[in-house]
Amino acid sequence: MDENKKKILEMLADNKISTDEAYRLLSALETERSTSEGTKKSETTSRMKSKYLRVHIVSSPEREHGHEEDRVNVRVPMTLIRAGMKFTSLLPPEARDKVTGALRDKGVDFDMRNLKPEDMDEFLEALSELEVDVAGSDGETVKIYVE
Amino acid sequence: MKRPPILMHVKIRNERRGLNLWIPIFLLLPLALAIFIIVAPLILIVIPIFWPSGRRRRALQIFGVVFEIICSMRGINVDMQSNHDYFYISAV
Repeated sequence: MDENKKKILEMLADNKISTDEAYRLLSALETERSTSEGTKKSETTSRMKSKYLRVHIVSSPEREHGHEEDRVNVRVPMTLIRAGMKFTSLLPPEARDKVTGALRDKGVDFDMRNLKPEDMDEFLEALSELEVDVAGSDGETVKIYVE
Repeated sequence: MKRPPILMHVKIRNERRGLNLWIPIFLLLPLALAIFIIVAPLILIVIPIFWPSGRRRRALQIFGVVFEIICSMRGINVDMQSNHDYFYISAV
C-alpha cells in the first residue's frame, strides 16, 4: 500500500474525513496513477519504435566557396546497432582486450568487457533519447539523433 | 521476419572517374548458400576442435549473428561528400 492511500485511510479512521471524501480521494489517486502509467508506456513505445540513428555533418558554406560542400549523411538502422552489440558479446576475451586497449590509446575510456547482452535494451532505449545538435562558429553543423 | 537486403546501391566518384553500382544481393544469396554448403563440412570439423576450449557455443552463435547483421543492413544509408570525392552506399 502506498503512502497516500495509507494517509487517506488513517484520516478516515480518525474521522477527519467522511467515507465519501475518502472514496473520492482514492479514486483521484487511482486516476492520477493510471494517467502517469499510460504516459510512461506511450513514451517507451515511441522510443522502441525508433528505427534509425541519423548523423548529419555539414561543413561551412563560406569555407567551401567554389567547391562542393563537405557533408556526411549517415542513416544506421537501430537493428544493426543491436546486431553489432550482439556480435561484440561473441568476441573472445583476448580480442575484447585488444579493442579496449586500442580505444584507450585513442583516448576513449570504454571497457568492452562491461558490454553485456542484458544491458542492450536499456542502452538502445537510452540511445533513442539521444540528440546532439552542434553548430560551429564557422557554420559547420553536426546533428546526431534517432528517428 | 528478418530478410536480407535485396539491393545495394554503391556510388563512388572522384575528380577523374565515377562508379555507380546496383548490386543485386538477392542473386548473391543462392551463391552464399552454395558456399555455406561447401564450407559446412569444414565447420563440422572446426566445432569439435573448439569443443574442449568452451568456444563451441560462440562458434555456432556467430553464424546466426552474422546473418542478423546482414539482415539488419536493410535501410542503411551512407552519403559522404568531400570536395570532389563522393561516396554513397545504400541497402534496400
